Amino acid sequence: MTCEETKLLVADYVSGEMEGSDELAYEAHLDSCPSCRAETSRVDMLWKDLALLPREEPGGAVRGRFYDTLRAYRQGMDAVPQRRWPVWQMAAAAALLLVGIAAGYLVRPGREVAELREEVTSMRQLVALSLLQQQSASQRLRGVSWAYRAEPNDTEVLDALVTAVNHDTSVNVRLAAVDALHTFAASPATRRAIVESLPRQNTPLVQVALIDLLVDLKEREGTKELRALTVGDSVNDGVKQRALWALEKLQ
Amino acid sequence: MKKLLMMTTLTALASFPLRAQEKLTVPFRDPSMPRQLVVDAMLGAIQVTGYNGQEVIVESTAGTEGPFRGPRGKQTPVPPGMKRIGGNNAGLDVTEENNTVRISTGLWSARSDVKVQVPVQTSVRVKTMTGQQVRIENVNGEIEVENMNGEVNVLNVSGSVVAHSANGKITVSLNNAAIDKPMSFSTMNGDIDVTLPAAMKANLVMKTENGGIFTDFDMQIDSTARAPKVVDNRPKGGRFSIRSDRATHATINGGGPEIQFTSFQGNILIHKK
Amino acid sequence: MNEVRAGQVGQMAILFERHHRALFRYFVSMHRDRELAEDLVQDVFFRMLRYRASFDATHSFTAWMYQIAHNASLDHMRKQRGNIVDIDEFAERRPEFASQAPGPEEAAVRKQDLKLLGRALDLLPDDKRELLILSRFQGMKYEDIAAVLQCEAATVKVRVYRAVRALEQLFLGLEKEKVS
Repeated sequence: MTCEETKLLVADYVSGEMEGSDELAYEAHLDSCPSCRAETSRVDMLWKDLALLPREEPGGAVRGRFYDTLRAYRQGMDAVPQRRWPVWQMAAAAALLLVGIAAGYLVRPGREVAELREEVTSMRQLVALSLLQQQSASQRLRGVSWAYRAEPNDTEVLDALVTAVNHDTSVNVRLAAVDALHTFAASPATRRAIVESLPRQNTPLVQVALIDLLVDLKEREGTKELRALTVGDSVNDGVKQRALWALEKLQ
Repeated sequence: MKKLLMMTTLTALASFPLRAQEKLTVPFRDPSMPRQLVVDAMLGAIQVTGYNGQEVIVESTAGTEGPFRGPRGKQTPVPPGMKRIGGNNAGLDVTEENNTVRISTGLWSARSDVKVQVPVQTSVRVKTMTGQQVRIENVNGEIEVENMNGEVNVLNVSGSVVAHSANGKITVSLNNAAIDKPMSFSTMNGDIDVTLPAAMKANLVMKTENGGIFTDFDMQIDSTARAPKVVDNRPKGGRFSIRSDRATHATINGGGPEIQFTSFQGNILIHKK
Repeated sequence: MNEVRAGQVGQMAILFERHHRALFRYFVSMHRDRELAEDLVQDVFFRMLRYRASFDATHSFTAWMYQIAHNASLDHMRKQRGNIVDIDEFAERRPEFASQAPGPEEAAVRKQDLKLLGRALDLLPDDKRELLILSRFQGMKYEDIAAVLQCEAATVKVRVYRAVRALEQLFLGLEKEKVS
């Protein structure tokens, strides 16, 4: 057994899940390898300590509620267990309701469908493009937010957004750019760009955002790239799960 | 403390060798123009603090061995009777160009922690790979931090903050926010804990896959943004767009520049100062 | 469970007495919210009552129960997503270990270590924490965990390895913070 193999099996060994024959091979390696020995004893301590963590005990009410439910059930009533509404949840729900009624809150500026005259359009394009090349991440974020106001067929702004998604040095700008691509959903160029961008990303948050976008757009052309993510070696677990979910949704 | 006078007006780029356990002072070319500090791909804890001065003071301390494996700088021992010429023992390259002081890892980098002091009015950009903390305090300017595997702490600052940590908690505390500057915070696996001035106007976009959103602000929630929405205004000469329902949209104090909070596994906490 | 399935609903009480504490611990470790944990325990037992016909005796009961528990967790989180909650609630949801003190053999130093370990466990991403809870706390075998999480047993093996690694890193990182 090599060190590489041993490292992968540490958890197995300390948890006692290992087969007898494998155990022998494992221990044989430990005999000759002080670093694996040290690692094993570290993980073993951790494993043992986990069992020593204080255990939470349920309060007395739990049993009472269960037996009430059981009794009601047996009496043929398909009674839903009494759910206590935590106080804060009621307050939050009430607050939301009030806020909804009070209207007049500010929606995202610029999202309204406004009448676009030519000079306004080109000004917005200019602002978006120049902001997207700015030095600071905050200014580039502003560029992305201006991109929302561009015409849906504005290829220059779309190109700039795609460039941002693929090449911007800031994770946060890439994320915002992916979000902005929703506005260009009608364009097949957008869909193509998203599919092509997916294999080039290795930041998990951006990968997840792109996957979500594919699902939102119901874009089936991305299945090959999605599948590649589910089996990739260095792909983050969360991303893998997301890709699996996306493949299901896009069937 | 070793002070190095900058006499390189001829060359645009000035280089400063920094040895471990030493302090280095780097002036900005033009202290009256906007200043920037960039710290790149370090393998140690990074601390940037604003102070009452005009120059950048860099100090590197040999880091203690940590559990996180990174390339360990190999120092070839000096043969007896000889001495090392030049060479950058701490593995740091420090340069100044056009009012930007840049500190980056050399090729042979031993794990070292870096402490930097900058004039309070300085923009700061830090990008690092380590599992250590990045801490920025008492600075006014545009602040950007990307930490792959450690905590990000940006405290007692003013201006704008854009921060990302793949596997650590982000804690930010703003005294004054620059008007009309968007901000963004993102983590894969850490909480996002941000304190904003109580009177700040902003549009908040909050999204967390597996965590909660908590605040003591009075937020006006845009509940129309929750339902998935396909808007097809093309017949009216408008646009076709899809608005995702995954984020929660809200405004504080009537609305303003956008602040994005995105986390996969973490909670989002927004405190009012 | 077979008896319950056959109509002896009263036998559910025995299952309850046997399993509700462990189930409660599972939910508390996952969500750090005792009230929620109690609600979810009720939810799981109710679902088991309701869907008892679907229990397949050839498979492990615990695997089936935790499958239901896992789904109940996910359902809850899906509903909660995007809700804005008062900030005081956050502090309430992260209680220090209130109940049972560790055994008499613990020295004061160990107690500190355990606190850090608990903290590290809390800081783990949900899926990794769940794996450790199921394998270490509930003592489930890899095949059973695979049934709960709907994946291959071999995958569970790898994921447990990753979870232990991640826990180790977090714990050591926290230790280092304490010292510095």
